[in-house]
Amino acid sequence: MPLIEIENTGERFQQNDIDDCILRAGLASGLGLSYECNSGGCGSCKFELLEGEVETLWADAPGLSARDIKKNRRLACQSRALTDLRIKMHTAPEFCLPVLAKRQSLSLLERRAVTDDIAEFRFQVDNEAVFLPGQYALLHVPGVDSPRAYSMSNLPNQNGEWAFWIRRVANGAATTVLFDQLRRGDRLILDGPYGMAYLRPDSPRDVVCIAGGSGISPMLSIARAAASDPAMAGRRLDFFFGGRRPADLCGQLELAELSRGPGALVTYHCSISDPDVGSGWSGERGFIHELVQRQLGGQLSNRECYLAGPPPMVQATQRALLLDEGVSQDQVHFDRFF
Amino acid sequence: MGQEPELQRFPACNTADMKDCDVIRIEPPGLRPVAVYCLDGEFYATDDTCTHGNASLADGEVDEDGVVECPFHAGTFDVRTGEALSFPCVLPLKTYPVVVEDGTVYVDLEHGRLQEG
Ligand SMILES: Cc1cc2nc3c(=O)[nH]c(=O)nc-3n(C[C@H](O)[C@H](O)[C@H](O)COP(=O)(O)OP(=O)(O)OC[C@H]3O[C@@H](n4cnc5c(N)ncnc54)[C@H](O)[C@@H]3O)c2cc1C
Ligand code: FES
Repeated sequence: MPLIEIENTGERFQQNDIDDCILRAGLASGLGLSYECNSGGCGSCKFELLEGEVETLWADAPGLSARDIKKNRRLACQSRALTDLRIKMHTAPEFCLPVLAKRQSLSLLERRAVTDDIAEFRFQVDNEAVFLPGQYALLHVPGVDSPRAYSMSNLPNQNGEWAFWIRRVANGAATTVLFDQLRRGDRLILDGPYGMAYLRPDSPRDVVCIAGGSGISPMLSIARAAASDPAMAGRRLDFFFGGRRPADLCGQLELAELSRGPGALVTYHCSISDPDVGSGWSGERGFIHELVQRQLGGQLSNRECYLAGPPPMVQATQRALLLDEGVSQDQVHFDRFF
Repeated sequence: MGQEPELQRFPACNTADMKDCDVIRIEPPGLRPVAVYCLDGEFYATDDTCTHGNASLADGEVDEDGVVECPFHAGTFDVRTGEALSFPCVLPLKTYPVVVEDGTVYVDLEHGRLQEG
């Protein structure tokens, strides 16, 4: 089994047979290898290969720029070691998994439509579901070559239930199977949890959750955790959801249920971005970060901010928070859904 | 006793010591470290600490197109304007005026400025 040495830090780890890539092998050994998406999209897991041979899982992964390719860099989430390796890679304690990821077999309990294109999927495992609110897991969907990342929408629980809000992507390899072929009782493999954008209950600040589209899944988990934690009583949580059309809006019902919780007080805000929507819609319009600034501009630097959704939405929101609102980088926690 | 260097004319290095796409870090006493770049015969200076993490840009790489890459997450900045070019870096770096006289590169540490967003 290949041994991988990180030259700049002296750290070493082994890639076991069960590990499907260098990144997850390193994280499973407790090391803080730099990463974000686990899906080849973000480029955070770049490394330089100094010695040894790797197999590239997805050669066209968008996480590598032309500059990276020129410099012979690779993605740790898309590379498997074929021999012992020496690599150069960024590591930091913030990337260490707070809960060690593991693989387990799940069966589908229920699929429930939430909107035209979002459904809630509930899966069951035999043991406790352990993760932090806001994290994601990789699902190995039958017939799809590489795993896909989905963020949990529920809370960690003893019953072994893992729930996800998943958006159907037209002709998407994984979502087509999940929506059209998977039946109750069918099994798939879950590998997780991963991700750094989890709720920080120890932060004394009020909270903002900002979701675009399917980004609602981890934000629901965070809101559920904050609303049910007595230690967060007296804290405000403003929940912003951005959709294209009125039919995309969701989450109000789930959040309304939280109003009786002992923890943070949750308020729902939403906006639609499609300018062609007619006068039937009397609510807010525009991109979701614009609504956040209209509602909370000037107060955001005192907030703990959680963001999830399509990369352009997360990037625009990050710019608004950091550049316009002066929010400190370490108060902003995000996942981009590549 | 030697005289304290003036902050408006802080000697950073000799032109002869730097070749194209080199970057060095200077640590003026009591101030934030500054990165000094050589690009196609011209010299530029920015804050050295990446606006995203705690990385030193002088440990990163500078390309011919004037882009410095943070050694941590590979976010990038334009060394001439300080502009953040790629996520996760969004905040610009401060840039400092530079003059070259008699083979010495001087940085004006008192007039660092942020490019307007
Ligand atoms: C951190 C994170 C969390 C996410 N959470 C959610 C969520 O809660 N709900 C939700 O609906 N969506 C979520 N997504 C998006 C989800 O992972 C899928 O991208 C989406 O469901 C589309 O998958 P698809 O297979 O149907 O579409 P496709 O268009 O077939 O595939 C899209 C994605 O699959 C990956 N991919 C494609 N080809 C390859 C290849 N050859 N090798 C390796 N990877 C490949 C890429 O990541 C690509 O973006 C999340 C994404 C990330 C990164
Ligand atoms: S973690 Fe590998 S590209 Fe995002």
